[in-house]
Amino acid sequence: MTGIMDDFMTYQQELVNGLGVSISLALLTFALGLPGGLLLAVASFNRAKAVRILAVVFVEVGRGTPALVMLQLVYYGLPVTLTAFLSAAIALSLTTAAYTSEIIRGGLRGVPAGEIEAADALGLRAFHTMRDVVVPQGLRIALPPLLGFCIIMFQATTLAFTIAVPELMAQAKSIASSNFHYFNLFLIAGLLYALITIPASIFTDRVADKLARHT
Amino acid sequence: MGHGISEAIVDPIQRPDSPAIRLHNVDKRFGEHTVLDQVSLSVDPGQVLALIGPSGAGKSTLLRCINLLERPTGGTITVDGVTIEAGHTVSANELAKLRSRVGMVFQSFNLFPHMTALKNIALPQQRVLGRSKKEAEDRAHALLKRVGLADKAQQYPTRCSGGQQQRIAIARALALDPKVMLFDEPTSALDPEVGLEVLRVMRELADEGMTMAVVTHEMQFARNVSDHLVVMSQGRILEEGDPRQIFANPQQQRTREFLRAVLERE
Repeated sequence: MTGIMDDFMTYQQELVNGLGVSISLALLTFALGLPGGLLLAVASFNRAKAVRILAVVFVEVGRGTPALVMLQLVYYGLPVTLTAFLSAAIALSLTTAAYTSEIIRGGLRGVPAGEIEAADALGLRAFHTMRDVVVPQGLRIALPPLLGFCIIMFQATTLAFTIAVPELMAQAKSIASSNFHYFNLFLIAGLLYALITIPASIFTDRVADKLARHT
Repeated sequence: MGHGISEAIVDPIQRPDSPAIRLHNVDKRFGEHTVLDQVSLSVDPGQVLALIGPSGAGKSTLLRCINLLERPTGGTITVDGVTIEAGHTVSANELAKLRSRVGMVFQSFNLFPHMTALKNIALPQQRVLGRSKKEAEDRAHALLKRVGLADKAQQYPTRCSGGQQQRIAIARALALDPKVMLFDEPTSALDPEVGLEVLRVMRELADEGMTMAVVTHEMQFARNVSDHLVVMSQGRILEEGDPRQIFANPQQQRTREFLRAVLERE
């Protein structure tokens, strides 16, 4: 036990920096991926069949491709040179967009048909009905599962260590391979991830409760 | 006003002889099933039409054909000079033109629950007529006052009673200056007592000369407020004419049965 504490104190700087990189990567992933998911969800309701098909193909390919494969594909496969961090953010955003579009789609579908009919009768254009009536309510419905998915994606940022992004997992591994305290360091990494995910889960449950009470 | 689709709303010349609503041979079929069978009727400007009849008669479907929430499979629909022929694809422009003339009130109110009463009434004006926020909100306040809900402007719909919600919904429709108002069983989801406050607003509207088409089970309203009564059954018009006359002396056996059934209940 003291060994674990010692390792943590010794490598505190690297580990905390690693956690910082993990969090930044996750935030950038959400900033790019969630609007992407919304866009795909809205596109799947478009009147033009071509747009709908395009959205469905994107989503199915995105969901069908493992995040790790997506990561390697963007980093090694794209003909442009991007930093490892940016590649990871793009790859994880694509996965996030594909998965969250399905979650958001479900939320948008949950908006009562009568309200959409009322919007039609008032003469609102499809775009305004979507923006002013369907999306605000649909996102509210989708919020708890979206937060849940964000927690999963935060954990998926560990995959970025495979392309040498200096996030928490990569830091732990690199320290461990020099002092061979694999158990200690991965345990510490796990605890640090839990430090974020457990409060985030509690927060998600609270939000879900609150929304359930007010509808 | 003055840009976008609001230009289409500028009053066409009101010929005294042209009806506000005219349906000609309107058909609605789902495969083998016929919901509306060659229905024709017309409503003059300022007239109140009441549609009654047993459930499943096609009253609501007919009403919903007037603003094309339901697409008829045959016939023509004319509202305030805008004619739509069934069977060809309706352009977005035609649809906007038609709907700008028609307000609708639903049985289940269908207010937007994430907006205050004020915003429910103001937002459509901004989006559809291009009014400024200030202009739209002023109008919304005036209409809320008119339906007796001046103090509910900042309230969300779920915090309002059913009767209040329905009156907000009426204000929302009126805010767009429709030429014609459609009411689809506006009091059916309400307690009888609460329904009265909605009927009072509708009656005032009728007195002010609004052209209205009302699907209703409120026989008192049909008898006392409407100018023209249409009795429907099985997708057809059974009989139509002066409400008092039909109530006093129905010509059709089916009408007699229906009126006996509903009036004996009251």
